[in-house]
Amino acid sequence: MDSKTAIKVENLYKSFGKGDAYISVIEGASFEVQKGELVALVAPSGAGKTTLLMMIGCVEDPTSGSIWLGDEKVYDGKWLTKETRRIRREKIGFIFQAHYLIPFLNIIENVTLVPQTNGVSKEQSEKEALELLKYFDIEDKARSMPSELSGGQNQRAAIARALANKPQIILADEPTAALDTKRSVDVVKMLKKIATEQNVAVIMVTHDEAMLPLCDRVLTIENKKVVSKKSDKTKIL
Amino acid sequence: MINLAKREIEHTLGKFVVTSAGVGMLLGIVLIMIGVYRGMVIDAQVLLDDVGADLWIVQEDTLGPFAEASRVHEDLKNTIATQEGIQSAEGITLQNLQIPTQNTLVRVTAVGYDPLGDFQIINPTRLVAGRVLMQEHYEMVATDKIGLKLGQKVHLGRDIYTVVGITHGSVSSGGEPLVYISLKDAQKLQFLYSNARIRNDRTRGAKVESPHMVNAVIAKVKPGYAVDEVAKQIQRWKHKSVYTKQQQREVLTKNLIKMASKQIGMFTVILVVVSTIIIALIIYTMTLEKIKEIAIMKLIGLPNGMIVKMIVQETLLMGILAFIAANIFAHSIYTKFPKRVVLEYPDAVTLFVVVIIASILASMVGVKKVMAADPREAIGG
Repeated sequence: MDSKTAIKVENLYKSFGKGDAYISVIEGASFEVQKGELVALVAPSGAGKTTLLMMIGCVEDPTSGSIWLGDEKVYDGKWLTKETRRIRREKIGFIFQAHYLIPFLNIIENVTLVPQTNGVSKEQSEKEALELLKYFDIEDKARSMPSELSGGQNQRAAIARALANKPQIILADEPTAALDTKRSVDVVKMLKKIATEQNVAVIMVTHDEAMLPLCDRVLTIENKKVVSKKSDKTKIL
Repeated sequence: MINLAKREIEHTLGKFVVTSAGVGMLLGIVLIMIGVYRGMVIDAQVLLDDVGADLWIVQEDTLGPFAEASRVHEDLKNTIATQEGIQSAEGITLQNLQIPTQNTLVRVTAVGYDPLGDFQIINPTRLVAGRVLMQEHYEMVATDKIGLKLGQKVHLGRDIYTVVGITHGSVSSGGEPLVYISLKDAQKLQFLYSNARIRNDRTRGAKVESPHMVNAVIAKVKPGYAVDEVAKQIQRWKHKSVYTKQQQREVLTKNLIKMASKQIGMFTVILVVVSTIIIALIIYTMTLEKIKEIAIMKLIGLPNGMIVKMIVQETLLMGILAFIAANIFAHSIYTKFPKRVVLEYPDAVTLFVVVIIASILASMVGVKKVMAADPREAIGG
């Protein structure tokens, strides 16, 4: 696989149920996402956006096909490792619609939780976390609890958490859904900046077409097929 | 490494402490129940030890005055006293009375003994005020729990008694407070019918019973004689039941308390099971409350072991806090119980071990929920 490729999906299928309850969601999806690329994943509700994201995130079992994350082939008709959770911990950062920070951990503990689980020392992980928090301009909130921060600050802390394990891939599930247009644009611009500066591949599920021009590329699910389109940069807000 | 259990408990400290204290009160009742049993065992032996007799000679085929009604003639003591190996013998009575105090009647056990005899029934270490009985009539020594004062007059039967001594910790084998009166007064109260009844019996031609009865004859064995052998000798020839002190102790601590101990044992087991279920339910609810966070933890890649450790540590800490609360609760109220409650260190240690095992078992329901939590629950859409 090309060293610039962060995600490669080949002939991926996903269906649910059997007999009368059989539903096919994704049929023969094949695409790549490069490092440093911000890709939007757009489709109507129920079309399978989150399912596709979950399969790439090693959470949902595909029916068949292959998935590469970085240079590691993780799925080929079956998971090639029993430690899918390790792959998520080491290679992927997740961002959700809500911040979903652990409410009983302060901001820096939320950010350092995964790195420390990966074996990074407390001192080193905190040093790196503080740099990330500084990057997101919430360094002074490091010892605050999530309940003490505004929604925007928490979302930035959640993005810092997603980056803390130095992932190759960020999977963002509708990170702007709860935000107004201005804040949505800020978050997407931030994701683009991260993708570029940290050389990370970002897939962002979104319903907001206004965000698409900010992305490098758009993946849509049409008739169960994944189609890649160039983003229309002329419509940037 | 971040200790998730510690951080979560700190976050919900008030709720966690109050919940633990609630469970602790339940466990405190377990401690009290065990203490009640320990108290019963001690109470059962107080009078037996205070009397200090080697032998208890009672009505044939009865277990003696602590367990069954027993009547023997008072002059049996003279016969017993002449047996080989006997140093001295006296009559003793035990009966239940209702003592009138300021506001109410108090149920007591009255011990009747010869104040001028060889047995010093009142343990001098229990005497906290006044003196022992020194006259053959109308004196009473009462335990402090009854509420009588030194010099107070008490009306019993046909006579008025004066309280001449106060004891502490004197109880019957059933844990009731004791009063001591002279044997002659006790016989009058227990065996002497009213004049009207005696006249009526005479008119009917019925034989009027002698009031010179006792419930048991107690005896001391001379040094150098085997108590068991002397007991067998008396039992064989005098057609009475004879018990050594040890046999009476067994009657008191095994036969009489057997049912009570089973009863308390059942309650204790039920309370421990209920406590375990309550801890399990609390942990289950606490786990459910953070199932979203658990799903997120799983999604971002935290290993199951780390999440399970959090649940088990929280449960164990709840158990330990509950145990501490149980001890504080039990020690702060056990003296308020009307009967003796004895809280012993080994019982607390045993309960601690049981609580730890119960906590580990209870944590399993939370662990099961953790294992079943689906990381997909963290993401909507």
